[in-house]
Amino acid sequence: MHKGLVIKKLFYALVTILVVLVFNYLLFRVLPGDPLAMMMRNPRATPEMIDSVRQLYGLDQSWYVQFFTYFKNLLEGDLGISFIYKAPVSQVVVARILPTLLLVGVAEIIAILVGIFLGVLAAWKRGTSLDVGTLGFSLVTYSIPTFWLGMIMMVIFCVGLQLFPTSGMFTPGKSFVTTGAMLADLARHSVLPILTMSLVLIGEYALTMRNTLMDVLSEDYITTARAKGFRERVVLWKHALPNALLPMITIIAINIGFVVAGAIQVETIFSWPGLGRLMYEALSARDYPLLQGIFLLVTVSVVLANLLADITYSYIDPRVKN
Amino acid sequence: MKKNVKILLTLLLVMSLIFIPTGCGGGSDQTEGVSTFRIGSSAAFDTMNPLSSYMQVTYEFFLLIYDSLVQYDEDYEPGPCLAKDWSVSQDELEWTFHLQEGVVWHDGEPFTSEDVKFTYELMLETGLGYMYSSYLEGIVDIQCPDELTVVITTDAPKANMLQNTTPILPAHIFGEIPEEELELWANEPPVGTGPYKFHSKGDNFVKIVKNQQYFGTLPYVDEFVYVNYDNLDAMAQSLKLGEIDGASNLNPAQLKQLVDDPNIDAISGRELGFMQVGINCWTASESGGNPLLLDKTIRQAMDLAINKQKIVDMAYGGQGTVGTTLINPGDFFHYKPTADELRNYNPDQAMALLEGAGYEDRNGDGVREAPNGALLEFEFITIADNVEEVKSGQLIAADLSAVGISVKNVTMDSGALYDRIIEGSYDMFIWGWGSDVDPTVILGVLTTDQIGGNNEPFFSNSRYDQLYLDQQREMEEDLRQEMVFEMQRIVYEEAPYLILIYSNNIQAIRSDRWTGYRQIPDGGTYFFNLTNLNYKSIRPID
Repeated sequence: MHKGLVIKKLFYALVTILVVLVFNYLLFRVLPGDPLAMMMRNPRATPEMIDSVRQLYGLDQSWYVQFFTYFKNLLEGDLGISFIYKAPVSQVVVARILPTLLLVGVAEIIAILVGIFLGVLAAWKRGTSLDVGTLGFSLVTYSIPTFWLGMIMMVIFCVGLQLFPTSGMFTPGKSFVTTGAMLADLARHSVLPILTMSLVLIGEYALTMRNTLMDVLSEDYITTARAKGFRERVVLWKHALPNALLPMITIIAINIGFVVAGAIQVETIFSWPGLGRLMYEALSARDYPLLQGIFLLVTVSVVLANLLADITYSYIDPRVKN
Repeated sequence: MKKNVKILLTLLLVMSLIFIPTGCGGGSDQTEGVSTFRIGSSAAFDTMNPLSSYMQVTYEFFLLIYDSLVQYDEDYEPGPCLAKDWSVSQDELEWTFHLQEGVVWHDGEPFTSEDVKFTYELMLETGLGYMYSSYLEGIVDIQCPDELTVVITTDAPKANMLQNTTPILPAHIFGEIPEEELELWANEPPVGTGPYKFHSKGDNFVKIVKNQQYFGTLPYVDEFVYVNYDNLDAMAQSLKLGEIDGASNLNPAQLKQLVDDPNIDAISGRELGFMQVGINCWTASESGGNPLLLDKTIRQAMDLAINKQKIVDMAYGGQGTVGTTLINPGDFFHYKPTADELRNYNPDQAMALLEGAGYEDRNGDGVREAPNGALLEFEFITIADNVEEVKSGQLIAADLSAVGISVKNVTMDSGALYDRIIEGSYDMFIWGWGSDVDPTVILGVLTTDQIGGNNEPFFSNSRYDQLYLDQQREMEEDLRQEMVFEMQRIVYEEAPYLILIYSNNIQAIRSDRWTGYRQIPDGGTYFFNLTNLNYKSIRPID
C-alpha cells in the first residue's frame, strides 16, 4: 500500500479515537445523578469532608475546566482515580488486561483456526454428511446461550469428570514455589473458560467461511481453473480461499477489536478477573473515571483492529492494492 | 491430502498443548501441617480501609484484623476485648476503660490508650467510617491518664456505649496520612491487633494468617482465604467438590442440593435485617412522588393487600419470615404489633379501607380513582440484577391490582435507583437493610436528620425523632425498650416502609473436614453474624 494512504488511514483512526473520547466524556456527564452521591454514601460526612473529596476529583471545577483537565491528564497518561477501588484507573485496568487477553486472545486463535478449517471442509465437501455435521455443529454452538454452555461445561468437566477447577485464574491464596507450578495452575484454570469462549466463536467463523467459500466456488474463474486442469486441492487453497477470506478478515477484525472488552458472560460464569466484569462493576457503581478508562481502551483497540484489517486488505485484495 | 493431514495434526497438537490437564481437579491442596479454610462469597472486597469501606465482606474481614474495646459473645452480650474491664461514674457520663496489657500491633509497635483516643476522635471529627462512627455519637471528651486507661466523657448518658464495636486503628499509621487523603487511602497492608494478620490479596481472594502474638486465646486455623465468586452456582459446586470449605449467601435451590450432602452442613440462618417496600412520603413540592401516596390509608391498604407469605415462598424459596416492624423478631427490642394493630394479608379489608377513604373505581376500568379523579397508579422500581426482588415486585403488582391499585413494574441498576431515591423522584421501590445488635442505627434511618441520605422514604415524624434521641440516653433497659417499641409502632402505623420479609442467609461448611462451629446467635449464621467467634473456634478434623 501507498505510504500516503497508510498515513491517511492513521490520521482517520486518530480522529475517530478523539471524537469517541469527547463523546464518551460527554456521555457520562449527561447521565443523571451526582457521582459524589454514590461515592460518599455517608450521611455523617461533614461538608468540609465532602468538599475535599470533590476537590480531589476535580468535581468542584466548571465542566469545561474538567473537560480540558481530563484531556491534559490523558496526554500525561493519567486516567484519574477510580471511585470504587480508590486507586489509579490505569493500575486497576492494567491488572485486568492480561487475564482478558489470555482468555479471549487464545480463544480467538483457536476459534479462527478451527472455524476456518471446518468452514473450508464443509464447503469443499458440500452436501456430504461431513457438511451437514459441521453445519449442525456450527449452528448449535453459534446460537447456544453462552451462559448455559458455560454451566453445562462446568457440570461435565468439573462436577462429572472432575478434571478442572470451577472458578478463578489461580487456586485462591496458594503460594507457588516455582513458576512452572504457577503456570500449571493457570493452565488448569483457563481450560474451561477458553474452551467455552472458543466454542461460541467457532460456529460463527465456520458458518461465514463455509458460505463465502461456497459462493466463490461457484464463480466462473473457478470453473476456468478446473478446466485448465488444476488439481482440486490447488483450486481450493490457491484460487478460491484467498477471495473467500476477505469477509472473514472483516469479521475477525471486528471481533478482535472487542477482545479487550472481554467476555462478560464467560468471565462471570468462571469468576474470571477480566475487563468485562470490571466494566460491569464500574457501570453499576457509577465509577466514571474507571468507565472512561475502559472505554478508552476499547475504543483504541477497535479502531486499531480496523486499521489493521484495512492494511491487511491491501495486501491480500488486489483491488485495494492497486 | 498430505498437507491437510499436516494442518490437522498441527491443530491437534496445539489443542492438546492447551487442553492437557496438568493436574487433578477438585480437592483442596492443604500444605503439610498448615490448615487453610477457604470461604466462598459472592461479594468482593472494596477497600482495606475501615474509614471508607461499605461492603459486608470487608466488615467481616475487619473483625479478624482489628479489635474493638468490647466484643459480643454468642448471645450478643458485650464482653471484654481490648478493654479488660470498665466502669461508669455515678452520673453515668464518664466511662473508664482499662486496657489489656502487652498488646502489640501486627507490625510490632505497642498498642496504647492513645490509639483508642486517636481512632474515636478521627471518626468523630471527619465523620469517616460511618458504620462505626454512629456509635460514637454523644462522646465529647477522651482522656488518656496513662497508657492503659481511657476515660470517655459523654454529653448525656449513653445507652449503647458497650455496643460500640468500632475497630481501634493504629495511630502510628493512620496519623501519618493527611486527613483529606484518608477517604481514598488504600491502607494496604492493614495493620491491626486482631487474631489474624493480612497476608496477601489477588484478583479474587484475600488471605489472612494467624497472629502468633495475639493477646487472647490463639485460634486453631492457620489461614483463612476469602474467595470471591461471580457465579453462585459455581460456588455451590466448588463447595461440593471441596475447592472451598465454606460458603455464604447461597440461594434456596442450592440449599436443597447441599442439605442432602453428607459431607456438608448447610443452614438457612436468620440474619439481622429486612427487605422493604419504600414509599415516597416526601411532602415538599419538589417531591417527584405521586401525592396520593402521602395518604397513609393507601400505604396501609397496600400492606394489607400484599401476600407476604407468598413472597417468602415463591421469591425466596421459603427462606425467611414475614415482616412487620423495624427490628427483627427474637431481639429484645422487637415490637410485635397487637392483634388490633397487626395487618395480616386481607385483600377484603384493604378494599374496605380504600372504599372508606373514597378511593373507588368509578369508570369500571379496574383501577380506583381518588375523589379528585386521580388514578391509583404507581411506579414500582426493583433492582434489575436481584432476581428475588424483581420476582417480589411482580407478585406485589399482582396483589395490588387485585384490590384496584395499578402498579407499573420498572427495573434498573442499583446506582440508578439510588439516584432516583436521593432526588425523591420515585413512587415505590424495593430495597433491604442489614441491621445491628444495638437498635440505634436501624432506628436512625427514618429520622428527619437523615432525609437526603439513608431516609429513603423522606419520612418525618417529630415524636419519632424525639424518641430516637431519648432512647440513646436511657440507661434503664426496660424504659429504653418502651421507647423503641413506640418508635416501631409509629413506623408500623405510618407505613413509610412495608417490611416484607426478615431475611435468612444460607451458608454451608464442609462437615467432613471441620468441626467446632455453630450458628450464632441461636438460629443465626456461621459467618457474617457480627462476631468472629466461629473463626476462632473452628478447627480441622484430624
